[in-house]
Amino acid sequence: MHTDGNQIAGLLEEIFGMEMTAETRTCQSCGETRAVGSHRLYTGAGYVLRCPNCGDMAAAIVNRPDDYRVSLFGTWSAEPGA
Amino acid sequence: MATIKESRPESRHAKTLVLDVPDWPGHRAGQHVDIRLTADDGYQAERSYSIASGPESPRLELTIDRVDDGEVSPYLIDDAREGDQFELRGPVGGYFVWEATETEPLLLVAGGSGLVPLMSILRHHEAAGSSADARLLLSARTLNDVLYREELERVRDGADAVTVHLTLTRDTPPADWNGWSRRVDREMLAAVGPAPDARPRVYVCGPTAFVESAAELLVALGHDPATVHTERFGPSGG
Repeated sequence: MHTDGNQIAGLLEEIFGMEMTAETRTCQSCGETRAVGSHRLYTGAGYVLRCPNCGDMAAAIVNRPDDYRVSLFGTWSAEPGA
Repeated sequence: MATIKESRPESRHAKTLVLDVPDWPGHRAGQHVDIRLTADDGYQAERSYSIASGPESPRLELTIDRVDDGEVSPYLIDDAREGDQFELRGPVGGYFVWEATETEPLLLVAGGSGLVPLMSILRHHEAAGSSADARLLLSARTLNDVLYREELERVRDGADAVTVHLTLTRDTPPADWNGWSRRVDREMLAAVGPAPDARPRVYVCGPTAFVESAAELLVALGHDPATVHTERFGPSGG
């Protein structure tokens, strides 16, 4: 069962240094632009974000002892200080 | 670090914690915090909890709903005492937030403890003196599961701009019950309004299945998906 990107708002802020859930991502697969917070979140050994429209991969985040490994897909907006 | 200043029960399985966080920067209505507990052996568990208090409140309040097999909520509800401390990150989130400067009509749809961040929005609406038409639809299992019941009744009776609708999904409602007693459906959402052409800002929060269902019904009614803000919490973890 999934939740959504809101749940990792704190983690994303830690990684990117800014609030990311209100930013948007345009999907590389279906072309839809949606808020990061509205993406589906699957939690296991790490976190996987998927497009809320087509389900394709948006991000994979793995927390290792000393760092994060982050894969991003599609086009993400980032407006620091907004 | 956050320190528990006081706590109060909200229902049989939910509790509000009043926290003291040094240098708390203030928050926006709808935001949450991440709480991290560390066991003696170093094992850590982290969970997100919505902020219940409005941005204008001098007190930072979280309402925690008990997940019986959870790792964090049973501790916070059953064991944590005044003066206990834990790690807290936040406030976080920027998507599921509402500002009283927004004047569009507001539709809040809550499933169970999904009411918590929406209560922060309603408290912000009241404290800021917003005249935005605000409507709350709350789905709860039984009347005893309704969080902030007295406050909701006061808000319903006091503020012209706010309407409160309840539906109970498990109980046989009391004889004088004038709310609904079924799961949220299309007809109910249409009756609560506002109509899609009024372009309301919509906030839906609750368990994943509840949010998926309500958001789909709202879009089918004609609401623009971009105006429907969703926040889901999973069935496990807690």
